[in-house]
Amino acid sequence: MKKNAALLPYLIIVALCCSLPCRAAEVTFPTPAYEGAELAKVKEWEKTWAGKKVTTENVDQVKEFLHEAVYKAMKDPSIFGAKFLWFDIVPYRPYDVSKGLIEATKKYAPASKLDEKENLVGYGDVAGYPFPQPKTGIEMAWNFDSNTRGDSSYLFHGGTVVDCRTGHEREAGHLRWELSWLGRYDVPPIPRIPNSENTRDIARSFFQRHTAPADFVDTTMLEIRYKDNREEDLWVYTAMFRRVRRYATSQRTDTIDGTDMIYDDQEGWYTHPTRNTYTAKGRADLLVGRHQDPKNVQRDHGQGFWNGFQRERVNNWVVEVINKDKDYIYSKQIWYLDPETWQMNFKVVYNRQGELWKMYEMTYNEQPSYGGGKTSMPSAEHIVDFIRRHGSPGNREIKGVGITIPLKQFTTRALQEKSY
Amino acid sequence: MKAKHVFNFSMLLLMGVYFIIPRYCFASLMLFDDKLRVKGSVYEFGTYMTKLATADEQYTNHDWGLMRTKGTLELLYNAYEQGDTNINLFGFYQWWHESVPDFDAAAHRSMTSRARHHYQGPYERADDWINEMYADVYKGPWNIRVGKQIVFWSEVEMVRTIDRINPLDLRYTTPGIDPFDEMKLGLWMVRGFYTTDLPGQIVFEGIWTPDFQRVRTPLEGTLLGSNPAPPVVMGKQAGKILPFGQNAAVDEMFRRDAPSISLHNTTFAFRVKGSSELPGNYLLDWTLSWYHGMNTTPVARHGKVGYPSTLNLNTDTLNGYLNNVAISRVFGGQNLPGLNHNSFWTYKYFDALGVSGQSFIPWLKGVLRGELSYELGVPENTAFTKEIDKNPSYSKVITGTTERDQINVGITFDRPLRWEWLQNQTWLASSGIIDTTLGWYAQRRQGNVTHIRRTFGYYERSQSNWTLTMRANMWHSELFPVVRFLYNAQNWGYAVAALRYQPGKHMRYEVGYTFFFARNIWDSPEAYSHNKDFAYFRIGYEF
Repeated sequence: MKKNAALLPYLIIVALCCSLPCRAAEVTFPTPAYEGAELAKVKEWEKTWAGKKVTTENVDQVKEFLHEAVYKAMKDPSIFGAKFLWFDIVPYRPYDVSKGLIEATKKYAPASKLDEKENLVGYGDVAGYPFPQPKTGIEMAWNFDSNTRGDSSYLFHGGTVVDCRTGHEREAGHLRWELSWLGRYDVPPIPRIPNSENTRDIARSFFQRHTAPADFVDTTMLEIRYKDNREEDLWVYTAMFRRVRRYATSQRTDTIDGTDMIYDDQEGWYTHPTRNTYTAKGRADLLVGRHQDPKNVQRDHGQGFWNGFQRERVNNWVVEVINKDKDYIYSKQIWYLDPETWQMNFKVVYNRQGELWKMYEMTYNEQPSYGGGKTSMPSAEHIVDFIRRHGSPGNREIKGVGITIPLKQFTTRALQEKSY
Repeated sequence: MKAKHVFNFSMLLLMGVYFIIPRYCFASLMLFDDKLRVKGSVYEFGTYMTKLATADEQYTNHDWGLMRTKGTLELLYNAYEQGDTNINLFGFYQWWHESVPDFDAAAHRSMTSRARHHYQGPYERADDWINEMYADVYKGPWNIRVGKQIVFWSEVEMVRTIDRINPLDLRYTTPGIDPFDEMKLGLWMVRGFYTTDLPGQIVFEGIWTPDFQRVRTPLEGTLLGSNPAPPVVMGKQAGKILPFGQNAAVDEMFRRDAPSISLHNTTFAFRVKGSSELPGNYLLDWTLSWYHGMNTTPVARHGKVGYPSTLNLNTDTLNGYLNNVAISRVFGGQNLPGLNHNSFWTYKYFDALGVSGQSFIPWLKGVLRGELSYELGVPENTAFTKEIDKNPSYSKVITGTTERDQINVGITFDRPLRWEWLQNQTWLASSGIIDTTLGWYAQRRQGNVTHIRRTFGYYERSQSNWTLTMRANMWHSELFPVVRFLYNAQNWGYAVAALRYQPGKHMRYEVGYTFFFARNIWDSPEAYSHNKDFAYFRIGYEF
């Protein structure tokens, strides 16, 4: 009996060891921001705050759920040319994640791994979030990169460049078509457009036609990002000069037409993940806009910061990001990534002197997508410059998600078609 | 004048609508369920000459070189859209008035009334007010554009090599200060594209035009042109400002002899465009082109040259006629000697083969562009060599015509440079990026050049230019300082420093200064402007 008793722990250990591969293969997805007791606590808090309007006067009461940059702006609205700032608090709602995303994540995530250069092994032939339960910053960055926003989209993005000191405003707008060629999980063909139609290993592309300002109308951009770490290709049809011109993607750190956004800042980070080093910094329970009605945002002339964000609590993943280029324009970025969709809810950037420079706050909303599913898409955003007191509020009108876009749209010939 | 009135009325009406209806204040106007897009601008452009020589000052009372008001109206109508068929109608209309001759009596007297009329507005040709107007038809892989159009084939800036479909109007500006597209003259043409499914996104393009416009050079008597010459030194009018010098006479003859729209004056051009992947993952965008058309500057008509001597006074020959003009000027003649229906000049055909390419070079962090054209049989006038005819290049008699081949090449390298100091100046709100373009352009004239008559660049086999353009942004891209510099190996060139300010949606302001230098003013038209430094301003409203 004693012998058997001694054997039992041994057998248990052996059984556990044998089951390890199976346990590693188990992937939990979707990953709601809150569950169980945590969710109950949030719901309890919401009993007091959901439906409330937060203004400069009462912002101190929710200070613990605001990033210091948002708090700073709320406390002194004049920084961004506002008489007062306010936002609404709405209840937390988990996202409806698409069936394709769940299937792809469950299929490919168990085998996900990074090579010695931190590239995702098999990138392009896999889809979904590779690390639903991430342990490192780079894993979180790959999750962020794997969000294809429904594989394709067509939207209008309008925005205003605001000098909050002088009140000068300049409006800009563009139509944008975006396509993921690899890592697709919703729209066939999945997980990638066949090699026969993608001989250059394009990972992602966008085609953007400007509608404002007046002297920029019809100027069109085409950017192609590749599967490997090679430099992106960027072409611009400049309507003013009627020429299709190649652009140096080393211009990626230049601001886009006077906004506070550099090319790399598009959608939070718009280039290859391996160009940065990432350090996971835990979680941050913050009020962010995840179900934003774009019609709810408003502002006065000369105001660079939106009023009317509909913020809900989410315990974001926090990642410190430092570019591998020692001369990079930002000394540091802090990303706040959504635990359910890995979209970037928020980021702050620091200048080379280490001062808080800019804040990029993106709100989202669920949109009907391919096959009756839903996809979280950007809704309204503002990027504000704390040092220069400047803002770039913008919002989007989503015209289609998970749609079919002819591949010919992403050619240099298309740049000049129907542009005058 | 009717066109002008219609244009003015349309501008006022549209601007009224624009101001009255707030939702249209976003950018361009969209009307008729977004089927009609309306854009436009009104600009005032003025130049003030700062270094005029004493000889030039008698032709101006105020030193204002230009004071030009220009309005543009752009209409785009989506006429038909069904499946893969789409028809758009596009019109770009313009009107301008150059007012210096209105308030400067000396400038007014330096031109004949006809030349002044042509110069002051869009009146040289009846359709000058139409910059572009065409139907743009898409059907599957085909795209056909029919109407008056402007074509852009160039990859590089500041100097033209393969981009020669549309001639230039140089009367109001100088290349390098304004982009070429502001100076191009539209032509009535049919232009077609066929987009293939071949690897490399290959597109075939063809152009056919029965239209012709000559290059419009700065007019004699205006500050960018030459002074009326030779001066009046004899008779009652001695020392007075009189129009119709030698250059004005030549310009008038060029205008009269220019071919009209006709099937006999057909120009063809073809281009193939594609992208190819080169070893090392370089993606090269390339074009190959062929142009067959008339040179925009004429040569002497065969059989009309006459005896090549300053003693030839037979007005039925070109040399004789020009000698008569000169003598008539010296004695104060105010009218051109009668042409007696003579046509002394002819615009001749030549061919140009072109190739261009551009690629981003990752290790250089910049974009390299290049283009080359080989021009076959460029028509030229001939003259005696220096040893035989010792007159300066501008007054040599013409001995006949010939053809020469010519090679033009242009290479530019664009690289954005980060200037951290600039970026750190918070008050300047700059991204710290300076868009920098370095360029090299060269021309080589094949064959014997010593027998070629050229006012500028006489006896010169080759020209070589270096250019530098730098453009920064400040105040969140409201303010753009720009510097452009061109240096020619013959030691002439120019520099432009400009500041463009665009504070809001509509208003645009620009000030700048242009400085010319030259060792020999007869090296090029730009060198000839060595004493024509000017400050300029441009104020505009875009909608």
